[in-house]
Amino acid sequence: MGQIFQRSTNFISRISIFGGVFFVALIIWLLLEFNRSSYYTQAFFPREQPVQFSHKHHAGDDGIDCRYCHTSVETEAFAGIPPTKTCMNCHSQIWSSSPYLEPVRESWRTGKSINWTRVHDLPDFVYFNHSIHVNKGVGCSTCHGRIDLMPLTYQVASLNMEWCLECHRNPEPQLRPKNAIFKMDWEAPPNQQQEGARLRREYNIPSTEVLTSCSTCHR
Amino acid sequence: MEEKVESKKPQWAMVIDLDRCTGCEACVVACHAENNIRIAGEGPAAGGRSVNWIRVERYYEGEYPDIRVKFMPVMCQHCEEAPCEPVCPVYATYHTDEGLNGQVYNRCVGTRYCANNCPYTVRFFNFLDPVWPEPLSKSLNPEVSVRYRGVMEKCTFCIQRIRKGEDKAKDEGREIRDGDVNPACVQSCTARAMTFGNIADPTSEVARLSKSGRASRLMEELGTKPRVTYLSRGD
Repeated sequence: MGQIFQRSTNFISRISIFGGVFFVALIIWLLLEFNRSSYYTQAFFPREQPVQFSHKHHAGDDGIDCRYCHTSVETEAFAGIPPTKTCMNCHSQIWSSSPYLEPVRESWRTGKSINWTRVHDLPDFVYFNHSIHVNKGVGCSTCHGRIDLMPLTYQVASLNMEWCLECHRNPEPQLRPKNAIFKMDWEAPPNQQQEGARLRREYNIPSTEVLTSCSTCHR
Repeated sequence: MEEKVESKKPQWAMVIDLDRCTGCEACVVACHAENNIRIAGEGPAAGGRSVNWIRVERYYEGEYPDIRVKFMPVMCQHCEEAPCEPVCPVYATYHTDEGLNGQVYNRCVGTRYCANNCPYTVRFFNFLDPVWPEPLSKSLNPEVSVRYRGVMEKCTFCIQRIRKGEDKAKDEGREIRDGDVNPACVQSCTARAMTFGNIADPTSEVARLSKSGRASRLMEELGTKPRVTYLSRGD
């Protein structure tokens, strides 16, 4: 009776055990990368909106301040979606017969709000507060990117927890002076590390342990 | 090397004056409304599945009709040496540097060890997904997570109000002070039996009251060092 296992089986079994470890590691790595991919996080995908609103035109070309529409960004957790009245402040006078703006005029006539599609949507167990970030030296473009160059709005950040923690662990590179918060084209000066440390003291930003404590964001 | 920026964190604590408590349960109602606490329904409630982050215990003394009832609101005591914390295998319950006993719902895997180890029985497990009969689902507080099936929940000292108060104080560039933060139960207490504040600040009301001669803590002998102090004459 011949042997069931050839001599080569030894070699194959060693290779498959060794390869199995790599295979499992590869699967885990692929899952993590999929979780980070913009296919999954929806970063860089513009959302379909009821009105073809262009931040590039309004914030970039016209130079309207962020706070003209997002009024509560400095005082509330939610930055605020402008009511139709804010649109009509200008559009009752200019482009008042443009077919693109028909949904806005309809909303104005009927009193029904425009159903904008949310672009930055965090999970429900995460609590983000705009006011504390804006008041502590984190500018709009740090998280939202160059909104003034976006014809259709998309998110530039993954909004993964690792992305939040990157800054909460080491906020210095992102801190800017108060007068630069709403500047879209702000760039870190060459001495940002010292400048960031100085601003951190000035803003009285708590220690990294506090910033990365679970209940800072989860409640 | 980066310079450590340390700001002194407040230490949250509560004082409940049992001599003032009338047992009206306004705190219980306020807590349910504030914290999106699910409604168990009649059957499950009878089976011990109701959720009350704060409950009012009743103690009867004497024989009818010479009866005296004593009330004691009991919620998570936010122990400094919390028995629930070391038993959590995934660090879903942990101690914050503000002395709060935190619960991270998205980390919780539902082992229920914490509830079994809690001497105050103030932790509640979600055996089912929560449902609210219409139109109550429209009254949910957006500041508080709705806990889903398979996670533990408990009193948070209204962490959403604490964060709001702290952020407001930070925006105004000052330290936290009495009145900045009031949990829903404290705010709604008709007899003003409950006081909440920063016990690390010696001028605060809770610091003053917790040194009172009437002060005691629930099951202090277990060594849990609760952050809730009860005041009672003890007669």
